[in-house]
Amino acid sequence: MNFKRYFIRVLHRLQKGPGYTYKELLVWYCDNTNTHGPKRIIREGPKKKVIWFFLTLLFASLVFWQWGILIYTYLSYSVSSSLSIGFKTMKFPAVTVCNASPYKYSKVRHLLKELDELTEAALERILQSKHGDAISAPPLNSSETVSQRLDLKLWNQIPLVLIDESDPDHPVIIDLFETNQSGSGTQPNNSSPALSNSGAPGCYDKWYILQSTSILSKVPLQERIRMGYQPEDMILACLYGAEPCSYRNFTQIYHPDHGNCYIFNWGMDEEALISSNPGAEFGLKLILDISQQDYIPYLTSTAGARLMLHEQKSFPFLKDQGIYAMSGTETSIGVLVDELERMGYPYSDCTMNGSDVPVKNLYNEYNTSYSIQACLRSCFQAQMFENCGCGHYLFPLPEGVNYCNNEDDPDWAYCYSSLRSSIRHRQFCIDSCKETCNDTQYKMTISMADWPSEASEDWIFHILSYERDLSTNVTLDRNGIIKLNIYFQEYNYRTISESAATTIVWLLSSLGGQFGFWMGGSVLCLIEFGEIIIDFLWITIINIISWCKGLKQKRAWAQYPDTPPTVSELVEAHTNLGFQYEDTITPCDEVPSPGALPPEPGTPPPKYDSLRVDPRAGIDSDSDVEAS
Amino acid sequence: MAPGKTIKAKIKKTLPVTGPQAPTVSELMLWYCMNTNTHGCRRIVVSRGRLRRFIWILLTLSAVGLILWQCAELVMSYYTASVSVTVQFQKLPFPAVTICNINPYKYSAMKEHLSELDKETKNALETLYGFSEGKSKVRRDADDWNATESKFLERIPLLKFEDLSKRTVTEIPSGNKRKIETSVFHQGSSMVNTGDPQDVVGFQLCDPNNSSDCAVYTFSSGVNAIQEWYKLHYMNIMAQIPLETKVNMGYSAEDLLLTCFFDGISCDTRNFTPFHHPLYGNCYTFNSGENGRVLTTSTGGSEYGLQVVLYIEEADYNPFLVTSTGAKIIVHDQHEYPFIEDIGTEIETATATSIGMHFTQSHKLSKPYSDCTETGTDIPVANLYNKSYSLQICLHSCFQRAMVDTCGCAQYAQPLPPGAEYCNYKKYPNWMYCYYKLHEKFVKEQLGCQQICKEACSFKEWTLTTSLAQWPSSVSEDWMLRVLSWDKGQKINKMLNKTDLANLVVFYKDLNERFISENPANNIVILLSNFGGQLGLWMSCSVVCVIEIIEVFFIDSFFIIMRRYWQKAKKWWNGQKAAPLQVNAPAKEGHDNPMCIDEDLPTFNTALHLPLPQENHMSRTPPPNYSTLQLDAAFTDPLPDMLEGRSH
Repeated sequence: MNFKRYFIRVLHRLQKGPGYTYKELLVWYCDNTNTHGPKRIIREGPKKKVIWFFLTLLFASLVFWQWGILIYTYLSYSVSSSLSIGFKTMKFPAVTVCNASPYKYSKVRHLLKELDELTEAALERILQSKHGDAISAPPLNSSETVSQRLDLKLWNQIPLVLIDESDPDHPVIIDLFETNQSGSGTQPNNSSPALSNSGAPGCYDKWYILQSTSILSKVPLQERIRMGYQPEDMILACLYGAEPCSYRNFTQIYHPDHGNCYIFNWGMDEEALISSNPGAEFGLKLILDISQQDYIPYLTSTAGARLMLHEQKSFPFLKDQGIYAMSGTETSIGVLVDELERMGYPYSDCTMNGSDVPVKNLYNEYNTSYSIQACLRSCFQAQMFENCGCGHYLFPLPEGVNYCNNEDDPDWAYCYSSLRSSIRHRQFCIDSCKETCNDTQYKMTISMADWPSEASEDWIFHILSYERDLSTNVTLDRNGIIKLNIYFQEYNYRTISESAATTIVWLLSSLGGQFGFWMGGSVLCLIEFGEIIIDFLWITIINIISWCKGLKQKRAWAQYPDTPPTVSELVEAHTNLGFQYEDTITPCDEVPSPGALPPEPGTPPPKYDSLRVDPRAGIDSDSDVEAS
Repeated sequence: MAPGKTIKAKIKKTLPVTGPQAPTVSELMLWYCMNTNTHGCRRIVVSRGRLRRFIWILLTLSAVGLILWQCAELVMSYYTASVSVTVQFQKLPFPAVTICNINPYKYSAMKEHLSELDKETKNALETLYGFSEGKSKVRRDADDWNATESKFLERIPLLKFEDLSKRTVTEIPSGNKRKIETSVFHQGSSMVNTGDPQDVVGFQLCDPNNSSDCAVYTFSSGVNAIQEWYKLHYMNIMAQIPLETKVNMGYSAEDLLLTCFFDGISCDTRNFTPFHHPLYGNCYTFNSGENGRVLTTSTGGSEYGLQVVLYIEEADYNPFLVTSTGAKIIVHDQHEYPFIEDIGTEIETATATSIGMHFTQSHKLSKPYSDCTETGTDIPVANLYNKSYSLQICLHSCFQRAMVDTCGCAQYAQPLPPGAEYCNYKKYPNWMYCYYKLHEKFVKEQLGCQQICKEACSFKEWTLTTSLAQWPSSVSEDWMLRVLSWDKGQKINKMLNKTDLANLVVFYKDLNERFISENPANNIVILLSNFGGQLGLWMSCSVVCVIEIIEVFFIDSFFIIMRRYWQKAKKWWNGQKAAPLQVNAPAKEGHDNPMCIDEDLPTFNTALHLPLPQENHMSRTPPPNYSTLQLDAAFTDPLPDMLEGRSH
């Protein structure tokens, strides 16, 4: 009961608007609002009134249009970038060094013996075909004996073929060790799993890699690591800044392409080293021996060290980003760290740590962070398993999957090469992987010089040989030795960082600026407007009620001649009361409240526009005066 | 009342209202100050006391000043651009890779054209430095020397300077000593101090029409002098050879390319588009997009890039023209012209050069943000190259045009403008002198090319990281060379040497595309809202206020002043006719009295627009001789809707 009364009182309070007709309300609003246009409309002469009316409308629509643009701009989540360049104390990048050859030939020779013999024979065969009529010549006796000696088991899995394209419509495919012309008339790329290569060395490389991959994948990992280059043999000298370091400072990692790789300053177990000075004196200096004599002749034709600079705790993808260092030279690498720091969703489509990418990161087993390369490779390996039933030797294994080899999966090589050239699968991986938000690139300025110089050659080789093998004989030569200097440049970082171009603060101040610029309005003015609308509604309701009451009354009048006071009278009473009340609390009231203005008959004649209300005020009703 | 009648009446009534309501400027100002929406003005009027009023005037004025200053700053900084960097991971279009042999033409094929020139060069070397390629050859050359007329040296004599300060020179072929009077151009002498002036070698270029007008070019080293001298003659000779012959003399695609892999798949010479470069002979562009198809890579890494083995026939090099061995490559966009002489990367033989690329695309805003051109159509220099616009193209085209205009023929290293032909001294005997003069001007930016040409607004850039490794490795050398020789075997019958080979791998390091674009930092919406912010902050002003100010301070004041003068003129006219009426001055005073007398401190009542105090009765009413009062009369007329509007 109490509550109801209170509620009614509140309702009554709310009803007390500034007028009881629409016109009054509008006039009152125009006169008292803090937006600039409406006041002009009622304060000016009739011509200007029209002008001001249209101006106000125009400005209001301008404001709304520009607000639309601003809100659209805000919702497009644009970013602004800032660039900073300079030198600061930074973490020295992790440096991965590998030998271009994955294994020592002396250690794997027994495994690859058959393959090598086969390759040699095939080479022989090809080279012979140069003389005379290449294709149709019958095999020579000598090679026939060779092929009889060979174990053709390996060969039969993936035969090397010679494709005679002299007749482009019907290429003739000749197996090098078969006398019969097998695939005559078949299109090599479509119907049979032959890969045609224009250059013989490239073809050999690919073929040999396929074969050796298959052989070596059967060897357990520990064995493979043992067959590769050992750190003490490879890293002869190491100096970081002024501090000596040795091969023990390097973390060993087994890389499928390059065998044993050694990472300096990986930051996995220990704190990452920092460098606070630019210049070669404060960087990393390495002397490496790649012992070129021990390369596998058919597997790698490029000799040198492969090295890569990368972030701490990231996996080195040497095939993608690695660079070579040539033997017999001193390679100086000046480093500039080029960082890109981006905002995540919704500003750009990138991932902070890869957790929201649907591909399982197989490189997690190395404890490394997410990168786009890792994602692409994991994706490929997953597809490889899906399509071929085994994992490729170059990438880490998902759980419960074995590496492909020729015995278990005889057709894996075909499956692999068709998968690799499939555009659809690649596109799938590209679509599902996202780049990382913080992208760090190491920009390198590489320069080279001959090292050691002829004059210093002798003693350098002597000392290094002695240190490595404790022998007085020189076991090194120019073909194997590499000097590396890696250091920060004078400006060692260039950071491009993104920040949101449009924040909510920006939006509000822009909205306010627009409203203020065109109409001098603020949020309070919007509230005023809302208030007016509420009043408007009230007036409407009251009008309806009074109309209904009136209707009822008419009927009642027909029945009872004496009537109670009309609702409109009651409403008027309310309105008048509320009006005075409202006036005192109007928040941004700049207009002098004319409520105190007494209607004086003796008022002097007006000189101003505004004062001209006075004579009329005496004539007009009470509420009208207050409204002015 | 009928609506038509109302309007008519309204118009009638309002017709006299031709100006503002306030009769004088000061009243207008007062009215403005009281009614305006800007904040400071009102304070001035309602403040009590002079000091306070003065302070308010000062504050208002400083606020206006601040607004003007800040808005000016905003306008000045309107045309600034902000840079945004976006990184996209996507399938990237592989760039076009143009590969040239450093030696433009096979020396064996060029022999017949160059034999005389070479002979003279050797002779000159011998006389200058006593250098010879062997005893017997010297004798033979010496015989030739006497037998043949040295036409090249005669045309442009090589000079040996005995003493630079005395300017005595020895002409190489004749051995004559003479003094030269002409201006001496030192090539690079500003950088390097030529210590011993006796070693200075150069050549003289004269205007054949006017033999006294000569220019002598000196070089600090004979190496440069001989090469430059040789090049001049070489270009002369080459300019006379038709293009077809030149193409035949150059390296064919089969000659240059031994093996090719792209994206893990084999490719061959059909994937390369030939292109004839005037200085580098036959070049081959991989993925030139000539049939509208541009290859893309969807995997980064050296495995998936372009791998080629190049055959560089070192033995067939021109000894005087080129002094280094190898190939030159350039990575460029399909629509770009490869300026291989300017920005090529050199490839060494017997090494594997691996070039990792990062792709960056940049876009600048054109006018009015910066002075760049989108398509090059607004540059008054005709593009001689059949490729999209670049600054290089513009500069070269501009120079070529100047060359044709002044010398009458076109320079050999650049394409021919329509209707022109390449310079050679059979037809244009003085072109070299002309060329050198012009080039001098071009370098000193006197031709205006640097001013005309603008940079292109958008460009693609491939940042290259080049690293070298030994190739083939010592153990694989044997079989590698054998197989490659076999590959090559169809054409040549010899074992390849590893110094004849170069291995090149061009690949994307990653598929991240960096797109650097300039965006307008401001747009009109932001500018206006900044204006609004400034206006609102200092004075709570808006465009409405600005219009108000214009209305009141310019239009209304103008009308008032006009009316004043009109009335004065009328009065004067009346005074001429009759006795002057002494009405105006006291009336004004009386009129101004109640509101505007400063000594009568403005009370709160005046501030609140209160009418005059009670004791001021109707007697105070000024005589109604103002035009405004006519208005009042109009308004007192009971026109209900108008009254309503007017009063509020």
